[in-house]
Amino acid sequence: MNEAAFKEKWESERPIYKAWGDYIVTTITQALENRNKYISEFLKVPVKPRLKDTTSLIDKAFHRKKEYADPYNEIEDKIGIRFVVLLVEDIQTLCNIIENDEQKWTFDPCRHFHKEREANPLLFTYQSVHYILKPKENIELDGAVIPPSTPCEVQIRTLLQHAHAELTHDAIYKSKRAIVPEVHRTVAKSMALIETTDGFFSDVTQLLNYGPLEEQNVIKRLDALYESFTSMAPHTSKSSITIWDEFEELIDENLVEGIQTTINQHSFLADVIREKYSENVFYQQSTVLFVYWMLKKRKRKLLNSWPLHEAVLEPLANDLGVSTEV
Amino acid sequence: MQLLNLNVDCIIIHQIFKRDQDGNVVTPAQSREFTLFEDSAMENFKSRVTDALGDGSKAVAMQIFEQDAGKVPALIDQMIEQDDETFAVSSYDLAKKLADAQHSKGIPGGIVVVFTGKQGPSQKKILGIIKAEVHSGYEKIVDDVTGRIALKFVEEVLLTPGTRLYKTAGFYEKTEYPETVSDLNDKWAVMVSDHQINKADGKFAAQYFYSSFLGLGYPKTSARTTKTFYESSKKFITALDAPPEKKSDLLSALNTYLKVEESSTVSTTEFASRYFNEDTQDQFGAYMEEQGVPTTAFTKDTEYIKNSLKVRKVKFRSKVNITGPQEAFNDLITIDTIEGDADASGTPAEWTRVIIKDRITDQE
Repeated sequence: MNEAAFKEKWESERPIYKAWGDYIVTTITQALENRNKYISEFLKVPVKPRLKDTTSLIDKAFHRKKEYADPYNEIEDKIGIRFVVLLVEDIQTLCNIIENDEQKWTFDPCRHFHKEREANPLLFTYQSVHYILKPKENIELDGAVIPPSTPCEVQIRTLLQHAHAELTHDAIYKSKRAIVPEVHRTVAKSMALIETTDGFFSDVTQLLNYGPLEEQNVIKRLDALYESFTSMAPHTSKSSITIWDEFEELIDENLVEGIQTTINQHSFLADVIREKYSENVFYQQSTVLFVYWMLKKRKRKLLNSWPLHEAVLEPLANDLGVSTEV
Repeated sequence: MQLLNLNVDCIIIHQIFKRDQDGNVVTPAQSREFTLFEDSAMENFKSRVTDALGDGSKAVAMQIFEQDAGKVPALIDQMIEQDDETFAVSSYDLAKKLADAQHSKGIPGGIVVVFTGKQGPSQKKILGIIKAEVHSGYEKIVDDVTGRIALKFVEEVLLTPGTRLYKTAGFYEKTEYPETVSDLNDKWAVMVSDHQINKADGKFAAQYFYSSFLGLGYPKTSARTTKTFYESSKKFITALDAPPEKKSDLLSALNTYLKVEESSTVSTTEFASRYFNEDTQDQFGAYMEEQGVPTTAFTKDTEYIKNSLKVRKVKFRSKVNITGPQEAFNDLITIDTIEGDADASGTPAEWTRVIIKDRITDQE
């Protein structure tokens, strides 16, 4: 295939590649939303499929050192999508979505920094996760048919890895001057620092999101208790989190059993919860059992530190006949 | 008596007045219609009742003394079975009886709320009577345009939070009772909340409500309950993870609370809030409930613990005992823990320093 034929084919197929890129972005962002991620918070750089422009594509196919036997098909980044996230854990979330069997694509995990770190433990250089996605079979989108031979390169990296890539790509690869060793050394040093910092970021996030509530698996156990007690399905909402934050120090290995004992002594509460389930969302949360327990066992603390409006507490105190007058 | 799962069926409100200049009863104003509340206002009303009668409240259990027909307890026993119309009329009889019972000109008027409902796991009947004094207050008014806040004086405000300005009585139908009852106490448990009862020498001031009006009296079990309270509290304090001098202080406080204070009621919540920190208050509350001490207040009767209250004892492992009148412990004796000689491992022994601000008069 000569340059002219290459160019003509590319010009005619661009819309197909564009449609394929759009489809991947939509599918992945939808999957993120299904996992309760806010796209604007989770993705640190707005995601947009990028078609290679014709000149640089031809340049890559015919004018570089690398010789392609079949440049049109061998060049797999004719369209690319980049996801930039905050944490290394977030990368894993995206990988899980991409590698899900139910997706309509095949994936070729062509680059992963974990593997590269193992292969070259002494090297600190560009880090990213790359996949090539191709349709499993013909996909029809808005009238265009996307054949299984259509590749799309997906890059996933942390914000810090992205910063490093931006620097090296623009400042080094495109530099017209010869690069002195000191530059390489400095860039490698910054990558080492980035890897360290990414690790710290993960540690901090874990510490922030892991406390006694998670350690004792409280919500899950309380949900189970709620369900067996009331035969209704619990729904946890934000008000519960506020309450657990406030009373975290009351969580220990005996808490859930204590709550169970207390509500079993007041089995009429099951009827009360069922009755109020549809009219008051607070009764739909298993945290309601914790609040009942506090009303009986830790009332002083509860009244002194109750983080929500007192109108939320009022009906619960009435159910148990507990005076809230301080 | 615990007030669980209260559901209010109907509420009717009459108005009573203070006696006139000459000391004659002013006829109460009768209402013939039931009062209807929206859901949120109803929840609020239940809160007022719960604050007055529920766990941790100052309500005390009372006993029915007046069993005769025509007296309030017998009236209530009938009313609870009446249809709505008859009930509306008889509830006014309660207002009249309260007006009669207000024997002095100094007793303020107010409204009389009579409500019926269900309570408890098996939803037994409850009849409640609230006398709420009218007081004045302010209503906030915000100007829509300027956002300026003004206060509008409101002459008559009722049933605001805080139980100081209302008296409440709850007649709870018991879960089980014989078909024919000769003693109304077999069928009804009664709780009364009246801040005047809790005050020093309050018995007299409160009498018109619980005795003249309601025909109630202090239960005979008070002495036993007071003893349980005293002994359970002592156990709790001695088991506390605290230095001996702190425990000594708390035991003195317990004695003072029961012996010296003039209040005619005792309450776990009240004692705890005065002497314990937040966490210990909650532990104390839970412990006392386990020991069978009422979660509300109860009437004080120190008959069974008179002698124990007089004397404080401190015992040592070595069989040394210090015994003395409570007052002397308060005023003349200080007890501190100090570090004694170190043992072989270098850990100092725990010694006690006792200072008695007095001289010895006799020894054997």
